[in-house]
Amino acid sequence: MNDDYFSIDAILAENQKVGCRFKTDIPDMGHLGGGGERDITRSNTLQLPIWLVYTVVLSDWADMIMPPAFGNKVRNALKAEPCSVRLASLVGAGGLWYGFGKTIMELYARASLTLLNNFQLLSNSLDDKTEMSELLTNTFRKRLVEVIDQAQHFAALGPAGGAGGSGDSAQSFREGLDGTERELFALAQEGSKRMKRWYEEGEKARR
Amino acid sequence: MSLPPALRASVTPPELELIACQELVEIIPLIAMEKTAFISGAYGPLRPPHKARIPIWMAVNLKQKKKCHILAPEWLTVEYLQEKILQETTQDEFTKLPFRFAEISRVLLDAASDDLQNPDKLRSLLKDLREARQAKARAGLQSLEHSSLRLSNLSAMEINEIRPFFIEAMAVLGQLRP
Repeated sequence: MNDDYFSIDAILAENQKVGCRFKTDIPDMGHLGGGGERDITRSNTLQLPIWLVYTVVLSDWADMIMPPAFGNKVRNALKAEPCSVRLASLVGAGGLWYGFGKTIMELYARASLTLLNNFQLLSNSLDDKTEMSELLTNTFRKRLVEVIDQAQHFAALGPAGGAGGSGDSAQSFREGLDGTERELFALAQEGSKRMKRWYEEGEKARR
Repeated sequence: MSLPPALRASVTPPELELIACQELVEIIPLIAMEKTAFISGAYGPLRPPHKARIPIWMAVNLKQKKKCHILAPEWLTVEYLQEKILQETTQDEFTKLPFRFAEISRVLLDAASDDLQNPDKLRSLLKDLREARQAKARAGLQSLEHSSLRLSNLSAMEINEIRPFFIEAMAVLGQLRP
């Protein structure tokens, strides 16, 4: 996960759709909503990709509605037990929940720079980028241990025992891994496998 | 980059083993040899009943030809390791061990297990030690920060093992900062 210009992950994270409620009429732009209407009318709600939301929100044409992936429900679930939330299913294809959160965080940062008091969020009290950062960081840190544990567990199983049913909660956690966590999982698994191979080479040589 | 992701951040265990084999070990030679110059320095002369200090790779080579006995380093004994395990399980921080103990102990146990006292016990003690230390590294993961990480007394092999995902996780934490 990074914000490099050429980073595919960053592009995918910016492609997430966010609901926006328009404050003004915008003629001839109805196609953005995918409907047959010609104009965007006031208080219409459209799902726009977040790279477009920057312009729309910063120009004060619309208010962003906090996407459900970071809504109250999810935040409370994360507060209760970070490992039981399936982050991948909160966001669309690719499942870059942290990347999405980071993009929203940047939107806050820019908004607070350009139009100080104009930036309001409907349906949510999470109006501070520090709070957002805390949410993301705490979630990441608490899930990290479980990610690494499972990666090492799977590395120890070897190729044969991969599919074995090792408890429903563990499996559902793995399926809910966000793209960033998935990368970490692969890294830790590969590292553990190499260590295991190295220690076993020695044992084989003895026999 | 063309390297697979796992090789970008760290070296492989066999590479670390190669580096560790440059360290010196004491042997009792069974053959005589004049002082000989190698790229890393001159070693010898070997005079049979007298001890000599030579690199591990050379000791292993001589051992395989039955031309020397390797003397275990003072830390590769049952008593020393037992004490270290006791420290490891009672203290919060990592205990001090030779930086390349994992590699050296494996090489010596593979090549010269008949020169060591009670090699099977040593193997199981080393495994216990490794597991105790891994549990600590795992606990440290919970308090990971984006900017710095203290790795006091961690050995080369252990650092190498955790490096790829620790730096990746730290990079992510850095990205998530406000």
